Amino acid sequence: MESVNELLTISPIVIIGFAGLFVMMLDAFTGNARWSFYASLFFCLAALAGAVQNVLGPTGTSFYSLVYYGGTASFGAVLVLTGTLFSLCLSKDYLEQTGNHIAEVYSLVLFAAFGMLLLVQANHMIVLFLGIESMSIALYALAGLLRDQKKSVEAALKYFLLGAFSTGFLLYGIALLYGSTGSLALPEIAEASDKGVMYWAGVGLLFTGFFFKVSAVPFHMWTPDVYQGSPTTVTAFMATASKSAAFVAFILVLSRALPDTSQQWQEVLWIFAVFTMVIGNLLALVQENIKRMLAYSSIAHAGYIMVGLAATSGAAYSAVLYYLFAYTLMNVGAFGVVAYYECHKNCDFTEIKNYAGLGFKKPIMGILMSVFLFSMVGIPPFAGFIGKYRVFAAAIDEGLISLVIIGVLASAISVYYYLSVLVYLYMKEDETGMVMKRPSTLYSLALIILALLTIYFGVHPGLLTDFLGSFYSVTW
Amino acid sequence: MELDWYLGLSAVLFSIGVIGVLTRRNAIVILMCAELMLNAVNLTLVSLSAQMGDIHGQILVFFSLSVAAAEAAVGLAIIIAIYRNHLSVDITKINLLRW
Amino acid sequence: MEFNILGIGVLTWLVFLPVLGMLLVLLIPGNNKNAIRWTALGITALQLVLAVIVTCLFDRSAAGVNDPQSFQFIEQFRWIAVESVPWIGKIEILYFLGIDGLSILMVLLTAIISVIGVISSWNIEKMVKGYFVLYLLLVTGMMGVFVALDFFLFFIFWEVMLLPMYFLIGIWGGPRREYAAIKFFIYTFFGGVLMLLVMLGLYFSVAYTNEAGEMVHTFNLLHMMNSANFVEGSIFYGLDTTWRYIAWVALFVSFAIKVPLFPFHTWLPDAHVEAPTPISVILAGVLLKLGTYGMLRILYPILPDGTVYFMYLMAFLGMISIIYGALCAMAQDDFKKLIAYSSISHMGIVMLGMASLTNQGTVGAVLQMFNHGTITAMLFLTVGVLYDRTHKRGLYDFGGIANQMPKYTGIAMVALFASLGLPGLSGFVSEFFSFLGAFDAFRWITIISVIGIVLTAAYVLWTIQRVFLGEGKEEHNSLADLTGRELVMFVPLLLIVIFLGVYPGPAIELMNTSISTLVEFVGLAGK
Repeated sequence: MESVNELLTISPIVIIGFAGLFVMMLDAFTGNARWSFYASLFFCLAALAGAVQNVLGPTGTSFYSLVYYGGTASFGAVLVLTGTLFSLCLSKDYLEQTGNHIAEVYSLVLFAAFGMLLLVQANHMIVLFLGIESMSIALYALAGLLRDQKKSVEAALKYFLLGAFSTGFLLYGIALLYGSTGSLALPEIAEASDKGVMYWAGVGLLFTGFFFKVSAVPFHMWTPDVYQGSPTTVTAFMATASKSAAFVAFILVLSRALPDTSQQWQEVLWIFAVFTMVIGNLLALVQENIKRMLAYSSIAHAGYIMVGLAATSGAAYSAVLYYLFAYTLMNVGAFGVVAYYECHKNCDFTEIKNYAGLGFKKPIMGILMSVFLFSMVGIPPFAGFIGKYRVFAAAIDEGLISLVIIGVLASAISVYYYLSVLVYLYMKEDETGMVMKRPSTLYSLALIILALLTIYFGVHPGLLTDFLGSFYSVTW
Repeated sequence: MELDWYLGLSAVLFSIGVIGVLTRRNAIVILMCAELMLNAVNLTLVSLSAQMGDIHGQILVFFSLSVAAAEAAVGLAIIIAIYRNHLSVDITKINLLRW
Repeated sequence: MEFNILGIGVLTWLVFLPVLGMLLVLLIPGNNKNAIRWTALGITALQLVLAVIVTCLFDRSAAGVNDPQSFQFIEQFRWIAVESVPWIGKIEILYFLGIDGLSILMVLLTAIISVIGVISSWNIEKMVKGYFVLYLLLVTGMMGVFVALDFFLFFIFWEVMLLPMYFLIGIWGGPRREYAAIKFFIYTFFGGVLMLLVMLGLYFSVAYTNEAGEMVHTFNLLHMMNSANFVEGSIFYGLDTTWRYIAWVALFVSFAIKVPLFPFHTWLPDAHVEAPTPISVILAGVLLKLGTYGMLRILYPILPDGTVYFMYLMAFLGMISIIYGALCAMAQDDFKKLIAYSSISHMGIVMLGMASLTNQGTVGAVLQMFNHGTITAMLFLTVGVLYDRTHKRGLYDFGGIANQMPKYTGIAMVALFASLGLPGLSGFVSEFFSFLGAFDAFRWITIISVIGIVLTAAYVLWTIQRVFLGEGKEEHNSLADLTGRELVMFVPLLLIVIFLGVYPGPAIELMNTSISTLVEFVGLAGK
């Protein structure tokens, strides 16, 4: 009985891991990608149910303290699975229309999700390392999915080389932390008393590894290339699930393994947050390709999230979790609309100027895109606003006033590039006279649910914010 | 102190790996340099583990070895795909995506 | 004072009636254009009826401003906090509505202008459904700002207005609409961002003790006005500190962008020229007032020390706006641009009156807000009428309109003369009060500002001469005079302008108590 209960604490990991193998075999026996699609949707839902159950339950560790469950970790699992589920819903149509509907996509997505789930539930550096690597290796393969397209392969190569490079840093960081504290378990690292050169070198290298994964400037170079080169729905998956997972793991490492030295590394995060916000937003301004623009915008969002990490308070961490949730909703949504538009005209419809006048042709798609973009801008009453507001409020509470001022001004810059998409959608005339396809029911349903959630959590955020606050017994 | 020599050696190996990744142009050589970085870390882990009499470090080495193998497999596959598309593995010539 | 309909307070009805209308419009099939128009008209008319009822029930002796007891039609419940959770104490975002003498006229103005806007939108043919959906959302945002008494709620309504306005200018606007729309959005958003920063700072500085005896941070504007609620050691604690001055400047800029005050005005001419007529009417009639209203409601009572410290700056910027706006207006040959610049000039008068921190000056300023709303709305409608018939707006494109369209000319003359400040029309009263108050406070600035009146007279008379008098143009010989629909939208405004010109008493009585309380409060707290 004991072992069954232990298994329940990692139920999302077990289900997704099994699902990956199952879907792979399913393809071998049926040869029909459709089955793989439905099976992976089913398993995702099941894992999501398991994760939700864990979130509602108590926190604790299991499997000889190797994994951590409940609270932040299980909410991280919910984030990952939400991103996975919605991007899977969008994948089938997109891949069919671009002529790449191969079943391996689903097993690779599930393997990557498996890695992410390990990552968010890790209580031990070995688990963390394994999680990050299973996630990354599957993502390298996903990025290069369209192996006869130069862009896709190039994206995969860049992602792979930089990813392998960052793995080295991460592992070295882990090794040095191990040397200086004598342990690989997160809580035990926190207990160690010796904080010498080796410790700080270890923390620095570990941070570098994480900065690569969350694409903080100046370790962001792979992001735009990979986001542009990968199939759009896979990009949606990478942009949301993997980033959420990396951030949640980062929070857990910061709050569970390195809480005593927060005074020192807070400043490091401060500097990187500034660079990430400012440079991400400035580079997004000059983009002409919408996928690249969204990539830079996701870098900028990583910057806002790092403001929350730099604040280091429980309130800030819970605000970051909320932000990640909003971020997942709006980014999967925006990439979903992009994927829909892309499937016209030889499936290469990603320049912003291609969007002229399309807002009127399929009004609902246009409205959905507006909702997602306005939410990213951070305008009430959308979820993105509440997220941004709470992160900045938590940072002000911790006295990071100048950082918040920079962040808020940087986000004012972002208005321009988000709106320029809407300018093309609604304020330019369409001269091509092209006919838009009708999206499938599942596709539009997924997008509409995302938009409704974005609005719902913007208008009525109280329940979720209070719930997330309870992880840190936060008083707000 | 014996340990310092091991740590020093692995730090040097790691730096060689980093410099290699940053300066070389051939994708395969870069991949090898990245592997060198991982193996340098493995050396650190093993020596620390032996010094402290703690087994966890060596377990992590096993995992990192297998991960490195998986990574190399995927990486080489990607490099083959690149070669088929570009007829080159020189990363300075692979530049469709920039800015 | 309370007034409920179906158990829901009247202010909630006022604010969310348009949202209800929006849902109705969404249900009507898009090709049934008339049904959509009539629905929008019905909803806004209903809103006007409610606003008039509220005005009639309004108790003129209750002050409001910083005293929760004397606010009227109060509605208050917790919005973001959830009761059942133990740590609820710390966050408090309220759904807190109420009106006092500062807001009652603005509520009335918003309701009037909204109805007129719908009537003048009748001939919009492009995507009628989308247009009215956005229009009604805009009305909700505007009304919400005027009745919100919680800073967070105020901010939400403030930003919610942005989205429909952006699309209304951007989709239904003129040839350079995308430029104008994006410029409008970025300016206002930047202002909103500054407001957000100050709002957060205030939130963490202000705490009050609730019934349970806990210290609670709050966004409640009325708690923020009480200097005893500032927590010791917090960023905005004390009086006349550097941080408070910084906060004052940031908040001032965010409101000044909306007013718009020189040098933050450049979005306004672009937005006005490109926006369709009804949107120009809303923009000039209501949106510009949000800036000055925000200053009176938030900036003055919460940061009174800064207000007193910077009163010369405000007066100076007001003066520059008056003169600069008038000079720019003289140089225009586009009718719409001329009115846009004249708006800047007239809002400068509001600023000058407010800056004086005297009773007359502030009463004059608030009255001028109302009057400018009605007069400028008429002026934009005037341009719209000509534009509908000829598709031209240049001042030199016309001449001798008085012969072809006598009724129209009569009404336009009244509007133009009211804008000039002719005694007997409403503009005169409020400008007179504003200058009178300002003269007490700053002699030279006021004297220089009065030059603006002369300039105004010059460009108004010049316009009348070029457009309405003189030789008629051949191609305009067959212009039809005002239709019934157009008369319906002009006549109420006309009556208000004449009535308040002859007998401004009722309007002044509505706000007098509140304004003297506010002026006294700011004077005491700031000096």
